Amino acid sequence: MSKSLATLAAILRIPLHRRLVAGSGAVYLLLFMVALQDISRGGRSLQFLTTDWTRMFERTGTVTFEPIAQLTLPGLTILLSPLNILMGAVIALLVGLNLAVTYIAFRQPRACSFNRSTGILASFPALLAGSACCAPAIVLILGIQVSSLFMTVFQVLIPASVVLLLVTLKLILDRTKPELLHQ
Amino acid sequence: MRWFHRLAVAVTALSLAVYGLATQAGQGEDPTLPLAESGYVLDDAIDDYADFMMSGGPPPDGIPAIDDPVFIEASEADLDPGDKVIGFYHEGEAHAYPQLIMVHHEIVNDRVGGLNLAVTYCPLTATAQGFERGETTFGVSGQLLNSNVVLFDRETRSYFSQITARGLRGEYQDETLAEVNLIWTTWGHWSSKYPDTKVLSEDTGHLRNYSRDPYGSYNPLGGYYEQDGTMFPLMHSSDRHHTKEMVVGARTSEASAYFVMSDLVRDEVQSTDRFLAVYAPDLDTGYIYSIDDSAPQVTSRGDGTYEMDGGIFEADELPLEKLVSVEAFFFAWHAFYPESEYVAAPTRVGERVRLAVEPA
Repeated sequence: MSKSLATLAAILRIPLHRRLVAGSGAVYLLLFMVALQDISRGGRSLQFLTTDWTRMFERTGTVTFEPIAQLTLPGLTILLSPLNILMGAVIALLVGLNLAVTYIAFRQPRACSFNRSTGILASFPALLAGSACCAPAIVLILGIQVSSLFMTVFQVLIPASVVLLLVTLKLILDRTKPELLHQ
Repeated sequence: MRWFHRLAVAVTALSLAVYGLATQAGQGEDPTLPLAESGYVLDDAIDDYADFMMSGGPPPDGIPAIDDPVFIEASEADLDPGDKVIGFYHEGEAHAYPQLIMVHHEIVNDRVGGLNLAVTYCPLTATAQGFERGETTFGVSGQLLNSNVVLFDRETRSYFSQITARGLRGEYQDETLAEVNLIWTTWGHWSSKYPDTKVLSEDTGHLRNYSRDPYGSYNPLGGYYEQDGTMFPLMHSSDRHHTKEMVVGARTSEASAYFVMSDLVRDEVQSTDRFLAVYAPDLDTGYIYSIDDSAPQVTSRGDGTYEMDGGIFEADELPLEKLVSVEAFFFAWHAFYPESEYVAAPTRVGERVRLAVEPA
């Protein structure tokens, strides 16, 4: 096992860090699903619908996919797209881990010399990638006009987030001394 | 660093596998696609349109068309009288397509009164247009042209501009689809005129939040639909009207025209050199006729009927050449047809001048 993974294991042995990863990851996953509009306002009555499970592989965007189940509550609709949730969970885990190591860098500077918030900043691109049919949600919110280049960039925001989060996590782990970690 | 490489390889492999499984539907159908005998006038070269296309985000069929529509009775429809619907009536059969469903799918491959047609809707340009489809089906390409949806036929995968009905790329490049007249109206108007109408059901085969429009709202008007501004680049733009002003337009092989809906509602009859428009209060829509400088005398009788040459006619039955009328946001119509004829705004309060404007 590489040094980075050993460091990560040492970090996760501390319950507070595990709670931090799980809590922040859950919040991020929720935000991700809202950004993708898999969680949205509106809904008439309690209802649970399903469709052909093979639909889960049909793409709705560059890396977003069809839902195969829908939970409707009064005022809220949740679309369950397994691959979107998987994608969101991977990013949420990376966000949680980044947050945990950033927390260590902030609270225990002797154990980690990477005292910056780079890891958290890396999580934002994926949140901007939510799509509203044929225009990114952020474009609708800001009411701006976008170019062809802008749309191309938008289509790679989710993979870009994953790469950025992996890189920042690796950089921070390399500068963390597991032997100096404490509760 | 080795674990990082392994993770990167695994993520890449998973992405490729998922991409490969994302199959596209709709192959192997009859290629016969009904086409118009003569195309509509174009204000730009077909290659310029094709070059101006850009991605709106989703891949082809990423916005899934409804290929097996299910209909319910009007009495079962959970619609408010003010909700927008797209209506089509043919051979005694009426179908209504709620805007809140159409905004998530943009195309319904339907059959009404024995006619196979694609009912298409672009939320960004507020255009609802119907095209005969023969035995093939249409899908949403994910490309946009002047913010307007670009369709593709599933047999040849040729791309078509919705507003111009013209083939942009592929086997049908520069060909024009055979278009039918759809009605952009409210559920209250449509169900009053056609109480036996069938209504597109939310049982679309796809799961979506059909109580919500991701762009805004028509009932009441809000969001993108009332904001003055556009999202994507346009080939032509003008500040003559608010970008989202609703106009009703029509084109022939030689010219095009648009009429501002709110002005047409007030005046009931308007004309330019080559086009005449009348307002139909029963469906809150406009019909446009080609008049070719004949300047017919058409007057409203105040009850939704019109008098012409001593006869009395419904708004959609004047003894003139009726054209396909398309309601659209002004910016969208102008982006495609900047040389359209139009009725100039009044020059003095209380005096409305009907001016036939020559193309710029």
